[in-house]
Parts: sequence; structure tokens; C-alpha cells
Amino acid sequence: MKRTATYAAAAIAAVVLAVLPAFLGAYPLNVARSVMTYMALAVSWDMLLRSGQISFGIAGLFGLGSYASALLVLRAGMDPVLSLVFATLLTGAIAYALGFAVLRLRAMYFSITTLALAEIFRIVLHNLHDFSGGPEGVVLPGVIFGGAAPALYWLCLAGLAITLGTSWYFERSKLHLALTAIRNDETSARASGVDIFKYLLVAFTVTSTLQGMMGAIQVQSYGFTTPETAFDANFTLLPLAMALLGGIHSTLGPIAGAVLLGIASEWLKLKIPYGHLVVYGIIIVLVILLMPRGLVGLARNRRAGRRA
Amino acid sequence: MKTLQTEHLTKRFLGLVAVNDVSFSLDAGEILGIIGPNGAGKTTFIHLVSGILMPTSGKVLFKGRDVSYAPAHERARMGIARTFQLIHPLENLTVLENVMIGAVFSRRQSLREARRSAEGICESLQLGDLGRDTASLSILEIKKMEIARALANGPEVLFLDEVMAGLNADETRQMISMVKAIAKERGLAVGVVEHVMGVIRELTERVIVLESGELIAEGPYSEVSKNPRVIEAYLGGAA
Repeated sequence: MKRTATYAAAAIAAVVLAVLPAFLGAYPLNVARSVMTYMALAVSWDMLLRSGQISFGIAGLFGLGSYASALLVLRAGMDPVLSLVFATLLTGAIAYALGFAVLRLRAMYFSITTLALAEIFRIVLHNLHDFSGGPEGVVLPGVIFGGAAPALYWLCLAGLAITLGTSWYFERSKLHLALTAIRNDETSARASGVDIFKYLLVAFTVTSTLQGMMGAIQVQSYGFTTPETAFDANFTLLPLAMALLGGIHSTLGPIAGAVLLGIASEWLKLKIPYGHLVVYGIIIVLVILLMPRGLVGLARNRRAGRRA
Repeated sequence: MKTLQTEHLTKRFLGLVAVNDVSFSLDAGEILGIIGPNGAGKTTFIHLVSGILMPTSGKVLFKGRDVSYAPAHERARMGIARTFQLIHPLENLTVLENVMIGAVFSRRQSLREARRSAEGICESLQLGDLGRDTASLSILEIKKMEIARALANGPEVLFLDEVMAGLNADETRQMISMVKAIAKERGLAVGVVEHVMGVIRELTERVIVLESGELIAEGPYSEVSKNPRVIEAYLGGAA
């Protein structure tokens, strides 16, 4: 019963989201794309968090996907749509290789290292003038799908759908048991037969791949990027804040957080052009102080309270 | 061939020798007590056998096969299971999900199969309401769940690290008969670490005594408890 209701709600949301371009102009669609991008990043970040690993490297993998896609088009003459696929896979392959090093680390050592990796990617692309265009960045010959706003929207929606689908699979497969067991106690997980490194590597590679995919979609939708745009720290910080606001360790939490904060930040940007980030920061601090388990946790407590 | 055997098993932490040259064996259908004063190396010994720690030297043989350096998750899959002295129930999972983990990852069952086998195990341990959060469990229920988690691996060898600690007399009696029944039904080789000598006397046919990492005595509890070295280890030089 509850499951049927969830499926129905998801189906309705999918239909509404798919037909949105028929009713909205270019600006709202642009905002929607931004929200969906952050939402996908927030969900992907949370997917790894379910294993207890806090990544600060979202921007790094997002930027890597962006540059991979842009450079595949510019330097290899690849078709933009095809470049999305290859850039996504390339980011995944790089994350897989890096996983062997960074997944030996835990807690803040893991977090700091992922942060450093993002910075290393940025600096490398910043300095490889001839290959990456250096600090000026890269300009593509054109925007994907001729820049048609509905097409760009649907592309971003497709990226989000892939991410949400993967997260949904994570929650319902044995990955859920493996990652939660690892998060709670690695020693006891090992004694139950969980190959910890294998599952961390799967989670890290998959979530990095998704982040790279969103980066590739982003760069093809704007037609240009620079190291500072592609590796913008906001791509790490905003998804993190959204997941915390909505409630971590679930798919629904980061979705709710992204809708709220995404729209709030857009609105604040218009209302308080020079101080919107301050207000944004205050919101995050209040949320963490007042509802550490996020909106989803709050709703769950409320429901539990009523039942009792 | 013994189900489980160690040969000259030794674990050194820098200067400290936590387990020193311990050779023992454990057979199917047998319940062995592992006793010794605090810090004798009992838990370290179980860590070595289950692969949570790797030995400095010596061997662990499971059904004749050298598994001394096999990772813990592989040993779990082969059939070596254990509980933990310091219990860490998985908070964000239900009782049933906690127990399913061993079935999914050690026995490679599908989620559906694992659910069914976990339900069976929990039922045999009289663990009710499996949809509960582990936060609401009593100590007895947590201990039972720990055993259920270990049994879900489908083990041939089971080590219980102080599963009676914190239980009252009634609960302890209940646990003793439960462990006996499980061992018999499943033909398990069971190793029990316990501080309460009454439990050891009731439960085990044979004990090994560790002191400062060394095996100092072996035999039925009635004999070992009269051994002067054992009495000295427990009571100190004054005895």
C-alpha cells in the first residue's frame, strides 16, 4: 500500500517534470536545470555517505566530467552527445583507479584527501595551457542540441533520473546492507562476510561517475567552462548543505533539500544580490542546530510521535 | 582432521606478546571454553582465528587448510563465525536486516533467501518482532541477535566472546541451554570465552586456559580448576 503510493507519487512527479517545458519559459527552465544538477550531486554525495565516507570532492569529479566532455569534443572532434557518455565513463575510470588509494583512508583523512584531489584536478587543468586552455578555459563550437531550452532541460532531467534510479537501486539492493553495515562498524561487517573495500570501491566509483556525468551535461549545456567554473567549490558545498537540510542516508532527503535550498538560493540571489550567501549560510547553520536529522528526519519523528 | 586448529599461533604488538605460541584444536560437535584472567589474550586469540587480526607467526588451519592470512570476510564465507565482546548492533537496520547481512554476504544468498533464513534463525532463538530498530532491544535480545548474526553466516565454527556478560541468572540459564541446543543441532565447533565459571562448567566439555598470551592448561573444567598454575593465574602469587 505504502509502496504503491510511493510509486504513484514518483510516476506523477516524473510526468510533471517531463512536460514542464511546455509551460515554462527559458529562465524558469534554467533555474530548474540548476536545481536538478545540484539535486543529482546531493543524492550522489549521500549515496557514498551511506557507507560513512564523507566526500568533499564532488566539485573535483564534476569538473573532471566537464573538462573530459569539453576536451573530447574540442581535441578529439567527438560528437557532443557521444562525449557525454565517454566523459562519464572516463570520470568513472579515473575514480576507480583513485579509489585504490583514497579508500584506504577513513574519516577526515578521506574527506581532506578528496578535497585535495579536487584542487589537484583544478590546478592541473589550470596549468595545462595548450591542452586545456589554461585559466581562460575552453569554448565549445556550440551548445548541445542548438541550445534549445526544452532539450537542455530534458538532458539534465535524464541525468537526474539516472542518478535517482541508481540511488533507488542502492537503497533496495544488498548494497544497502553492505554500506550500512560498513558505516556502523567495519569490524563486525567483515565478520559477516562483507568485503569492505569492494563495496566502498563500487560506491565511490558509481557516485563519482554520476558526478562526472552531471559535469559533462553542464558543460555541453553552457558551451564553455573554466577551471574556476567547473571546479567551483559550490558544487561541493551546496549539495552537501542540501542533503543535510533534507536529511541524509536516503534518496528523498537530498531531493527535498535541493528543491528548497535551490529555489531559496535563486530567490535570495534576486532579492539580496550581494548578501545572499550570508543568508544562505545562516539557513544552513540553523538547520544543523535545530534539526540535525533534516526535514525527512523531522517528518519521521513527527509521525512516530503521533503513533505513540 | 580437526575442524579448527592453530599451530604456534603468536601475535606481537610492538613489545607486547598478546598471544604466545598457542596450539589448540577444536572439533565439530564440541564446546570448548576459553578462560583466563583479564588481558590474557582471549579476545586477541579469537581475532586471530577469525581474521580480524593477522598473526605475527604461527598458523590457523580450518579443516586442514591454512587460512592464517585470509581476510576476515573470506573466513566468514568459509565458515568461521564469531560474536563480539563489545557489541555494535547496526543502528540503522532492523533486527531482521542485521541478521540478513551474514546470509547475504557470507552465504551469498539473494535478499529474498536471506530474509527467509534470517527469519528461521531468529525464530529458533526466540527473537520476536524482527521489524524493530535495534535501539529498543534489551541486553538479552541484543546478545541473541549477535548470535543470530553469526549463525546467519552458516558457520561450522562459532566463537562466542562473552555473550553471557550483563545477563541475570535466569537469562544466563536460558542462554546456556540455547547455545547447547544450537551447537548440537548444527553440529558446530563452538569456542566460548566467558568469565563466569559456572557458565563454563555447565556449558563446556573441555577448556583451555590462557595467561599472558600463553596456553597454560587444557582439559575438562573439573581438572583444570584444580591445576595449581591456573589457580595462581587467577588469584596471583598469594595463592
